[in-house]
Amino acid sequence: MTTNVLTFNVRYHPRVLTLLLAALTTFLTLSALSPVPLGEAVRQLWTLDAPLTPTLAVIHFSFWPRLAMALLAGAGLGLAGVLMQQVLRNPLASPTTLGVASGANLGLMMATLFAPGLLDWGREWVALAGGAAAMGGVFLLAWRSELSPPVVVLAGLVMNLYAGALGMVLLLFHQEALKGLLIWGAGSLAQNGWNDLNFLWPRLLLGIFAALLLLRPLQLLTLDDASARSLGASLKVLRVGGLGVAVFITACVVSVVGIIGFIGLAAPNLARLAGARRLGERVVYAMLLGALLLASTDLALQQIPNMLPTLIPTGAATAALGAPLLLWLITRLSLTTPSASQGLPVHAAPHLGRRSGILMGLTLLSVLIALLLGQGANGWFWVDSGSVDVLQWRWPRLLAAASSGVLLALAGTLLQRVTSNPMASPEVLGVSGGSAIALIVAIYTVSSPSPVMLLGVGTLGALVTLGVLILFNYRSGFTPVRLLLTGVAITALFDAVRAYILAGGDPRGQQVLAWLSGSTYYATPTGAISIAMIAAIGIASTLLFCRWLAVLPLGDETSTAIGLPLRRARLSLLALVGLLTASATLVVGPLTFVGLLAPHLAKMLGFQHARAHLLSAALIGALIMTSADWLGRQWLFPQEIPAGLIASLIGGAYFMWRLARI
Amino acid sequence: MRTLEPRHFAVLLMGWVLTLVSPLGNAASPQWVTLDWTLAETLIALEAPLSGVAQIDAYHAWVGEPRIPETVVDLGLRTQPNLELLADLAPDAIFISPMFSNLTARLSRIAPVEPLPLYQTDSDTWQEMQELTRKLGERVDRERQAETLIAATKALFDRLKDRTPTTAPLLMVQFMDERHVRVFGKNGLYHAVLEQLGIANAWQAPTNAWGFSLAGIDALAAYPDAQLVVIEPLPIGVEAALANSGLWQHLPSVREGRVITLPPVWSFGALPSAQRFARTLVSALEAPHDD
Repeated sequence: MTTNVLTFNVRYHPRVLTLLLAALTTFLTLSALSPVPLGEAVRQLWTLDAPLTPTLAVIHFSFWPRLAMALLAGAGLGLAGVLMQQVLRNPLASPTTLGVASGANLGLMMATLFAPGLLDWGREWVALAGGAAAMGGVFLLAWRSELSPPVVVLAGLVMNLYAGALGMVLLLFHQEALKGLLIWGAGSLAQNGWNDLNFLWPRLLLGIFAALLLLRPLQLLTLDDASARSLGASLKVLRVGGLGVAVFITACVVSVVGIIGFIGLAAPNLARLAGARRLGERVVYAMLLGALLLASTDLALQQIPNMLPTLIPTGAATAALGAPLLLWLITRLSLTTPSASQGLPVHAAPHLGRRSGILMGLTLLSVLIALLLGQGANGWFWVDSGSVDVLQWRWPRLLAAASSGVLLALAGTLLQRVTSNPMASPEVLGVSGGSAIALIVAIYTVSSPSPVMLLGVGTLGALVTLGVLILFNYRSGFTPVRLLLTGVAITALFDAVRAYILAGGDPRGQQVLAWLSGSTYYATPTGAISIAMIAAIGIASTLLFCRWLAVLPLGDETSTAIGLPLRRARLSLLALVGLLTASATLVVGPLTFVGLLAPHLAKMLGFQHARAHLLSAALIGALIMTSADWLGRQWLFPQEIPAGLIASLIGGAYFMWRLARI
Repeated sequence: MRTLEPRHFAVLLMGWVLTLVSPLGNAASPQWVTLDWTLAETLIALEAPLSGVAQIDAYHAWVGEPRIPETVVDLGLRTQPNLELLADLAPDAIFISPMFSNLTARLSRIAPVEPLPLYQTDSDTWQEMQELTRKLGERVDRERQAETLIAATKALFDRLKDRTPTTAPLLMVQFMDERHVRVFGKNGLYHAVLEQLGIANAWQAPTNAWGFSLAGIDALAAYPDAQLVVIEPLPIGVEAALANSGLWQHLPSVREGRVITLPPVWSFGALPSAQRFARTLVSALEAPHDD
């Protein structure tokens, strides 16, 4: 019973839901076309009437292709979502799980900046190549493990993170040159001809055909590995096939319309919720629902009159609208915890004592270098009595970097042990996202916000998010899968807000970017000391929970049998995670990923037991963040690369190396 | 195509010479730094001695002129200037846009920080630009140069206004990609220049605080009579894509050849950018009549 994570307590027939959405889409289409007689409007679908008016030209070249594009893209994402969730046995999987979208995004950015000639071939080819490269990387990393789902998911996460971090660095330094790509990144369906559609439909047809061929064998993946093998299935071939088709479809869609959030996650889950059980049914209804969801959202957006100085990209809107829908869905789904064996294979390592010694030594070394070695107007120098003034700038950043590394690593370790899900991290839980949304709103509504105000608003955002998490999960007793889904919904909302803000091209976007990218730049002496104190308290208090943390990963039944108060344990741990994350987010921003990487790294190094896991993860978090902060300040001096980005790059590289050897 | 007359070259040349000769040397004179490109272009036009500006390479790519002298130090990102370097330079004052006032506490440990606003909502951009120039001139002891810059700009606009041919209302766009444009309207530099030249702006839809709206190309179809003004740079591949774009080719302005293309001008600039935009715009509008 590893896959059947979702069972349903409410049954609708999927047909009813589909018909309802179809009716809505038709109504919106008719209302959009109301300025011209319907017959005339429909005729523009295949011809352009002779006395050419601008209205008719817009209907022919923009309205119809856009509607068709929405339907096609939605169907494609729905199909890709079902395939991903089936192969990876994870209801959180979505078409972009394997890094296709971020790979395509990075490919486009690099082409724009370094090889603009490539774009003359057409943007979609560059995007396809970028997506394919990311997917290739994921397959390479997971090859030795026969593409087993947890490894693929992790590899995909890291690929996403890696490409995302690189993209963020480029964006930070070349915001002006990349402003057009930000619109693509927010997913706009605007069309001005039939060319893109002609690119997409044959490829989508090919994808659907391949998916149909794979349908029967893919059903075997509902079983666990051993049973599937005993029925004679080659897991590797099946997985390569299933994921390959899903990735191909996603890459084609993304390359044309940009990143459309949520449809690929929601449509398959909606189809299941509405009662589609068999794989064939799920494919059909996910495609239909995906198409109709995207089309109706896009049509509704076009009806918003020209009151805003900017357009609302559809991709961002689907993500924003989808988040509440997903939250509602979560209360409807009855979810069971996947069995504990879902994690990575572990190996007991000898020499733990020596390893922790080396870790401590490295951390100390990195702190010393970061304090004493740096560049100035006249090149490299070691701090001496003449230049001791420079330390006043360095120590708060270093302290903040180390402390936030510790905090996030602790939060990540807690979360991964509580949920037994390798995808769990404070960033995924949405607490950072919630606090980031609040800060973005503050930056955009107040003309010149003070740091104190930003701090207050950020904390408030984190607390509200935590409240939402608790509210939506209290009744279910904080089931891990449900908790993570709630976090995914909040994070999706955050991504939507961010994409919308950046696509608008407002110069204040720079400020948002700078903060989002996880920089210690804004650390003040008092802030650094407070966060260091919080980190110390954090270490002490997490250690109090060691017994719970040792038991929880064994699964619900075992934990209850031993006498663990499940609900109370999860609530207290969750609250602790929330507080740790919020404090770290306020200092270094939401996108550091130390919380994801450090616990995994600690485990890979062999630190298995709760206490050792916590302490070593904290140490690794501090090590990554301090070295990242120093590197980030020196690499492109005088430009500074935020520590969070460098941390993602260093940690990610090491993580990939270890992952490939599993 | 726009034409450049000899006197344009003369004006440009004079500007260059002035900026190159004036601020160098003389270490005893006060040194200023700024994180903001709009303030940087104004300070250079005022011949104020600058020791540091943020993101100089990007300034040259996007603002272009006036050039920043070679001796000026690059301070790093506009949002996160390098504090150690800034402290090392020990400037007399740091000029910032209020947008970055969250840096004030940090920066004021190094030198007094002066936020100077431009492009505030609900205020007249043209007046704001002059006030900004005056305020900056006072602050860096260049009152005379500030008045000269303002007077020169006004004189230039008077001359250009006489030359401006009658034209349909302008629709000023900058391509983000082949499907999206920024359309410039109220509250922005380009609009302020149009007002001074007495040219109508076709785009009356709401704009953001920096005077532009982001729109799909289909939004342009609502202005069939407008004169289209495309402001460079065109993102790579867009020209080819537009040639194949049914919608773009069927826009009345495009079909009837009412499209002019202007070289890039910093759309969030101050008086120097306004001068450049006005000159290139009027030359481009005149060009079809020269044929």
